[in-house]
Amino acid sequence: MTSIIAPTVIQSVGITPLEVALFVFILITAVLTALFRDVLAAIVIFAAYSLGLAVVYTFYRAPDVGLTEAAIGAGVTTVFLLLTIAKTTRPPTDELFEPINWPAVAVCGLFALVVGSTLTAFPAVGDPNSPILTNPEVTGYYLENAYDETGAKNAVTSVLAAYRGFDTFGEAVVVFAAGIASLLVLGREVFTA
Amino acid sequence: MSDEPTSQPDERMDGRVDTDGVARQRPVYTESQVIMTTVKAVIPFVMTYGLFITFHGADTPGGGFQGGAIIASVVLMIAFAFGIESTRAWLANSTVVGLGTAGVFLFGAIGFGPILLGENFLEYTAYYPVFGDLLGLKEYEFVKYGMEAVEIVGIAFIVSGILMGLFFALAAGDSHSEPNEADLREGELRDGVDSATFGGESDD
Repeated sequence: MTSIIAPTVIQSVGITPLEVALFVFILITAVLTALFRDVLAAIVIFAAYSLGLAVVYTFYRAPDVGLTEAAIGAGVTTVFLLLTIAKTTRPPTDELFEPINWPAVAVCGLFALVVGSTLTAFPAVGDPNSPILTNPEVTGYYLENAYDETGAKNAVTSVLAAYRGFDTFGEAVVVFAAGIASLLVLGREVFTA
Repeated sequence: MSDEPTSQPDERMDGRVDTDGVARQRPVYTESQVIMTTVKAVIPFVMTYGLFITFHGADTPGGGFQGGAIIASVVLMIAFAFGIESTRAWLANSTVVGLGTAGVFLFGAIGFGPILLGENFLEYTAYYPVFGDLLGLKEYEFVKYGMEAVEIVGIAFIVSGILMGLFFALAAGDSHSEPNEADLREGELRDGVDSATFGGESDD
């Protein structure tokens, strides 16, 4: 991934069959996560959903986000959820699916409609005239100057560790605080022996 | 999997069904030659990949956060293959806590150092007049290697350490529900003391 590509190189080619397949996969796994009655099955399907999402991010040229989604969403979160059901109960069941809660479906549908109504305001994927690619003050500045000013070919890293380093420091401390908070909640003093 | 007859719902568990018919899943470790061999074979590659993602984050996708998560997943895999409790005994608490604390401390030190030198937070070039001759680096190189330092000894340390820690903390669970503590709490409740809810173990 080179950061110094001219924004106009990216061209919208419409929606490809690969994207359609990925979106269908993500939709199906998302719905199945909600529907499966067995928690273990829901967790496994949820991991598949995260993996699909990671592929979509990578497909849309955000490999940094894709890597994070694959490592945290599909990997570590799944392990943590599995640990959680190992510590709790898993009721035996005859049913494959949860009975559908229609009021909840109505609320979710309404929410999807509200969010979906904003879709028409979005530029097409990869549209060279979209504000994010034509903005000279922010995106344009980073793409043009990140390599000269930081020497890093990955503009994402230069934004994270240099231009917006203070934000990243805060985020890193939040992760640290999460570890401390987990110890406090569980009433423990050590992570391991 | 749920269309199997429910007569053995606990097949994958420890075979115990409580009186209420609910299969309580206990984190029972089953030694598996296949899993142990697979993990042994895969670990060097995962570790190398995690280190590559961390160290090469400035030029390729990735960085400390992703790399740190992959490095932590090595420990998670070891725990799944060789048992959480034996991995807990093998991995010193000081390693886990040390990684997280050192990460915050070093990131903070690199970040606040330039303020002491009269510049802004994380202004890497502020180090040039001080260490430039010593390290033999040009001014612009300080930004790149400064970022690498933040990614590696800052973010990767914190993320890998805390993810390992969260895993073992989750696996151990609530210390209040451990048997000896539960007995203590019962005794307190009998005496009409409800301080147990607010952390009765402080009296221990």
